[in-house]
Amino acid sequence: MNFRLEKLIPLPMADIPNRKSDFWEADSFTFQQGKHYLVEAASGKGKTSLLSIMYGLRKDYSGKLFLDETDAGTLSIKRWSEIRKNQISYIFQGLELFDDLSAIDNILLKNNITGIKNSDDIKRMAEQLDIADSLAKKCRFLSFGQKQRVAMIRALCMPFDFLFADECFSHIDRKNSEEAMKLIIDECASRDAGLILTSLGNSFHTFENRILL
Amino acid sequence: MRYLFSILWKDQSRIHLLWAVLGTMIGFILLLSGIHFYDNINKVLVSNKDLLDPEYIILNKKVNIGRTLGFGNGGFSEKEIGEIEEQPFTQRVAPFISNEFPISAFTRSAQFPNFYTELFFEAVPDEFIDVKSDQWSWTEGQDFIPVILPQDYLNLYNFGFAQSQGLPQIPKEMISMVSFSVKLKGRTETATYPGKIIGFSNRINSILVPYDFLTWANNTFGYLEKTDPSRVILVANDPTDPAIISFIEDKGYDTIRERLKSSRINIILKFILSFLVLIAAIIIGLAFLIFLLSLQLIISRSADKIRRLSMLGFHPREISMPYIIVLLGLLATVTGASLLITSLLANIMTRQASVLSLDFSGKLTPLVYIVSIGLVFLLFILNGTAILLSTRKLCR
Repeated sequence: MNFRLEKLIPLPMADIPNRKSDFWEADSFTFQQGKHYLVEAASGKGKTSLLSIMYGLRKDYSGKLFLDETDAGTLSIKRWSEIRKNQISYIFQGLELFDDLSAIDNILLKNNITGIKNSDDIKRMAEQLDIADSLAKKCRFLSFGQKQRVAMIRALCMPFDFLFADECFSHIDRKNSEEAMKLIIDECASRDAGLILTSLGNSFHTFENRILL
Repeated sequence: MRYLFSILWKDQSRIHLLWAVLGTMIGFILLLSGIHFYDNINKVLVSNKDLLDPEYIILNKKVNIGRTLGFGNGGFSEKEIGEIEEQPFTQRVAPFISNEFPISAFTRSAQFPNFYTELFFEAVPDEFIDVKSDQWSWTEGQDFIPVILPQDYLNLYNFGFAQSQGLPQIPKEMISMVSFSVKLKGRTETATYPGKIIGFSNRINSILVPYDFLTWANNTFGYLEKTDPSRVILVANDPTDPAIISFIEDKGYDTIRERLKSSRINIILKFILSFLVLIAAIIIGLAFLIFLLSLQLIISRSADKIRRLSMLGFHPREISMPYIIVLLGLLATVTGASLLITSLLANIMTRQASVLSLDFSGKLTPLVYIVSIGLVFLLFILNGTAILLSTRKLCR
């Protein structure tokens, strides 16, 4: 699946004078499946807005968004929920974990929809990210950095054509971040999926495409 | 689904729902036992038709001193009969016709003491008569006259006269074996026919002969002055219609009150039961609102979680499932418990009714099941739709 943006601007962004961003000014931009994109900008420049629009959570934009050849504005709730189950995975900046469930239950909630990973796969990923010991704990008792890694594993427990990672390393130390990046890149490669990663601008990984907002 | 349940039902106050369930149950029990009771009463009334027989009403004019002294007319004029016919409650109406010549009856038999009596005959069209017999007909030249006597006459004889005079009681079946002769006396000619009692009427308190016979006999022998019919019989569309009683009272007519009493009972019963059903409907309606509101409350308390689930790709229908399953469970419990309690009540009712020698069924009538299933289906659809809509509204 590819995304094509045509003069797409989130409405709150449209009002900001002197945006000076090639990306927002461009007539058309395409995110291609299989390629990796780094979206860099300071806070409040519309990174999360962009991903939310592309994930169907926000409709407040001008211009057009196409998922392959389909206008995103015409997609039904039903179609969006299918896309979110099988085509786009999202590591939310706000994590969106259920505090009352244990870490493993949060992951299984997602994994059980498609059953793509078995318990060994999940355990291996948890070990790679150094949170295997915390899986049985309720999320409310985990640190934000641990939660970020739980959210990451959850996002990998589904088939997808694109993975959105919204500042997902902000509270993770350098070593674990590198492990996590490796895991994400591997998982994307195994699915031939695209990756859009947003960052405040101190990336440790070289991306083929960099977008400055 | 396990996860959805624990996410959406965690920390939810269930006390409102409990009230809603209780309210619905009380409403259901009232409604269902009302229906059961009504159905049984109706069956009793129908099966005791010969006792109550409400749809046939016989009207006569009140006998008063003026009439006794010869003022006014004791009969129904054609205009008055037309007026009765035009009443909305009237289905059919027919005047009684009576003999316009003297009649006497006498016996000459070894088994019975001889007797002789002056007599009268009346007739109404066959469709008004409650005795069904293939002997009930008349063609000229027939060798006997079929006669129907009031059941009351037989009772009077068997339980009053025979008892006190030391005479044998006569069962219904034996009556037809009593042979007697009927003498019709015209101005110039007379004729004698054997008479045969072919049945007893609960409905009409008169000595009846076939309508065809009496019209023929009046044509042949009649010479007395024709008088207006003193009684009319009418079939009412709905004998419980209060308009009948008020019409009768307005016009100064009279009828056998006992007969209309059953319709009065029916009216009162219908009123009480429809009141009960109304109360039950109000209770069910209120309980439904509590149901609706508590579900809405539970859903809006979970708004964040619902939004989150939709972000993870759950369809509103999937998210609604835990609520709908609980709803279904609650409604099923309500229906089951109400049916159980209602059938317990029905058993108690049956026992009470049997004391009054009314034959109530201990088994719930099918209508109770139909109504409860229909109602629970309606409640499920309404609540389920509300759940779906409000969940959908929260999804992004």
